[in-house]
Parts: sequence; C-alpha cells; structure tokens
Amino acid sequence: MRVLIQLRPSPDIVAAVAAPDLTATTADVTGELPGVALDHDFTPVPLPRVRPAIPGGDPLSLNQPLDFSMAPEDASVLVRGEISDDDRAARTALLPGRGGSVVGVYADPVIETSLTCGGTPPVGTWRDVERLLAVPRLTADGYDGSGVALAICDTGINAAHVTRQMGRSFTIDAERSWSPSGVSETPGEFPVDHGSMCAFDALIAAPKASFIDIPVLLSRRQGDTVMDGLLSDAIAAFSHLRTLLDAQPAASRALVVSNSWGSFSPLWDFAPGQPGNYSDNPAHPFNIIVGSLERAGADILFAAGNCGAECKDRRCAFPARPIVGANSHPQVLSIGGVDTKGLRVGYSSQGPGRLSDRKPDVCSYTHFAGSKAFGPGTPDSGTSAACPVAAGLVAAVRTHWPASAISPAQLRTLLYRTAADRSTVGFDYDYGYGIADTPALLSALERRAAATAKV
Amino acid sequence: MVLITVRLPQEATLEQAVRRLGLSEDEVDTGYGLVPLDPDEGLYALRVTEAAGHRVAPDGGGPFSDPPIEPFGPPR
Repeated sequence: MRVLIQLRPSPDIVAAVAAPDLTATTADVTGELPGVALDHDFTPVPLPRVRPAIPGGDPLSLNQPLDFSMAPEDASVLVRGEISDDDRAARTALLPGRGGSVVGVYADPVIETSLTCGGTPPVGTWRDVERLLAVPRLTADGYDGSGVALAICDTGINAAHVTRQMGRSFTIDAERSWSPSGVSETPGEFPVDHGSMCAFDALIAAPKASFIDIPVLLSRRQGDTVMDGLLSDAIAAFSHLRTLLDAQPAASRALVVSNSWGSFSPLWDFAPGQPGNYSDNPAHPFNIIVGSLERAGADILFAAGNCGAECKDRRCAFPARPIVGANSHPQVLSIGGVDTKGLRVGYSSQGPGRLSDRKPDVCSYTHFAGSKAFGPGTPDSGTSAACPVAAGLVAAVRTHWPASAISPAQLRTLLYRTAADRSTVGFDYDYGYGIADTPALLSALERRAAATAKV
Repeated sequence: MVLITVRLPQEATLEQAVRRLGLSEDEVDTGYGLVPLDPDEGLYALRVTEAAGHRVAPDGGGPFSDPPIEPFGPPR
C-alpha cells in the first residue's frame, strides 16, 4: 500500500525542504524507516502547521478561521513510500514510534481525472485517434478500405464539409446509396449533421472506402399510433444493403455497416414479454434482418449507446440493461466509447445487453476534436463517434480480407482476441473485451496469412 | 401502424402478400411496400394498421413494434 509519511525533523531540515533554492531529498529528511520502502524519487513536501486563529478554538475543525505557519519550528515534511499489504495495520501503528520524527501515516490513494461526460471539452483530436489506430501502419500495409463498401446509416452525409474538415476527398457511391420514402436530397449533399460526423470518423482509418449514404434517421414516416416510427425504415435500408451484398462477387464481398443510433426508451416499444416487442425480442423483424445480413457477409457495427452509469444521456429511460435490440444483437459488434487517453467515457452504456449478455463487444475512440459537425470546439462525441471509428478499422481490414476469407463472425473473434484488455482479465461490462488494437489485429492477420500460405 | 411478417415465394409482390393475408388496401402502407427480411427463407415484412396486424398475424408473424430511433450523439 502506498503511504504518505509526515515527519517533524529538525528545524534546519524543514527550512531546507521549504527553501525554493534548495533541494532536500528524502534521505536528507529521514534515514531508513523499517518496514517502509521509501520513494526516493519523490521530493519531500513541506506542510504548514495549522492552528485555530482564535484562542480556544477546536484544533480538529476546519469550519473556523485558521492560521497556517511555515516557520521551521512549526512546519512538518511529507515523504512517500510503500508498506506491505500483509501486515499494514501493525506497521502503520508502529511507525510513529520509530526514530521519533514520524508524526503520522496517511493513505496515498490512486486518483484519476474526472470521467469525460457530455458537454465536456474534447479530449485530443482526430489526429490522436489516427495515431492510436496506427493508421500509418495500416496505410503502409495497404489497409486503406479500397474496394470496400462502407454504409453510414444515419442522417445523411455532407461530403463537401467532411472533405473540407479532413483536408482530403473521398468517394460517395451515389448509385448504391438509398433513402427512405420522402427523403429527396442527393447522396452526399445532406445538411451537415450527425451523419457527416460519422462519415468523417470512419474515414480516419478507411480513407479509400466507398461510402454508401443511408439517411435512415431522416425518415418522417408517420402513422396513427405511438408505435409509429423509423425502425421500419431501417429494415428497408438493411434489405437494400442485402441486395447490394448479394450483387457483389462472392470472392470479394466486403460491406461494413455503421449504425450510431438506437432506442432510448421502453415507452417507445411494446412491453418486454409481448411477442411484438423489439428491445428484448430476437424474433423482431429488424433483429431477423440484422442476422440475415450478417450471415450473407456484412460486418455490422452498432453504437452501444449513451446510457453509462456515470453521466447518462437524459433521454435514457431503460431502468437497467440499456443496450437493447440490435445494439445488443449477437451477430453485431456493439461499440463502447473511450477517450483518447483510453478511459471509458462516462456516458458509454454498460452491459449486459438484452439480446446478448456479453455487450459491449469492444471499445473505440470518441469525444475528440474532429469533424466540427456540431460547430468549432464541439467534439465528435457519444458512442456515435466510437462506432464509425471502429467501422473504419473493420473496413480497412476488409481491404485484403473479404468475407470469403474471414467471415464476419471470425473477424469479431479476432477483434476480441486482440483487443487491449482494460479490466482485470478478459471481458467486462464496461469495456467489453477491451479497446480495438490495430497493431495486435494486424499481427494476428499476418499469422493467419502465413498459416494460410503453408496450407 | 405496426410491422408484420409473412412467408412467401421468392420475388413475391405486395399484391400477393395483401391477397394471402386478406388485407384491404387502406390497411397497408403501400409506400413502404413488401420488404425482404431473409430472401433465403422467403420471409418478408410489411406495415399495416394496428387492428389489421392483430387480425392477420396471430401466429408469430407479429404484430411487431415500429419504435422511433435516435442518434447516439452528442450526449444530452
């Protein structure tokens, strides 16, 4: 256990510690302390004596006027060390009796920065994400998304904005794009919004992918009950994608589908247990078509959601297990969010999932300065950003490994096996199998290629 | 409106589905049409009124919810 040890050495030592032009070391302050591994890299810190400003005040209360004295005969000094966990109570109790100068032993707990939440500033930039995804290595090895169809199912893409922000152009495949009924804009020419953010984030790892624009969230299909909505348009969109996939030559099939959306409330759905329910029901038509598309060879990624325990989106209304419906489908990759320091963002939904217990599957990066789709200074955020970042990585892999060579299920397993574990060991409900790790993934693919070449 | 599913031969049309299920035209979202869910299994989806859904799909083919969906970002 790490500890802080308060000592009261002679006044001249205290003066040396406090003097800005002198550098007193732990060895200067104290000799060896039995049972303590002193940290000699830690510069001793002078600590003022505190007294009630009014005579007769409570010496233990902070709720009164206080005087602080740094005079050498008053002040003390803090050093740092570690004591064994086995008998720490006994050692802590005995320390003040050793050497006469120890006046207190205090815990030195691990402290962490506050979790990233909605409304907090960006943590790093998309260039950091590019580095963390090892994009230079991907590029050097020819993994750039060439020949891979990458569908962004969202609010539509504004290609001019994305090109401007990224500083390079990319391909919108207008012919294979699709819009729900009533949406008339040209693919790649939608207003700048959430879909442009997703396209930008997918481009980080897959600059040469062919983008299929599916503005499914723009649907305004209405009916006559509260259950009317948009999931039916997602069904139609996935049916279109199935047609596209079936039209690709079997030997080179490569379709990655990025979905940064989902359901926030059980009030929008039939109740769990009712046969027509979506959130908990693998037999719902959307969950059926997700499985069907995956079996045909598509890699399907869904954002895990923004209902993490620490700072959930205020729309989150599921009382527990907020990864619902297709976002928790066993045949998709459910993507949680971490910041560029590798810490789970507080809003990233935690498992278990409803259709499949082990969700999220893996994490990727979010909350970075990137597309400016929501204005300068506003980060690309939500698991909405993490999902296309991961989709870009999957699309990059597909450059050389079509679904005929590695099935979507096999690729998911590779991502699990090579993810950078963030928990004690293996899967956990915060990070899934860990953060998708490009170098480890590429090494696994190299081993697979070598093994395939031998056969 | 709700979703229902129906099993039909490959390349089936909305008219065939409407006839098979005994639906009237004003009970069906014809703009949505007949959407293949799993072509290998001959499984299709269509949107119908809630009353029609309860009447024609009592055997596991619905009615299913058609909930709204929203983007997962930025967090509010």
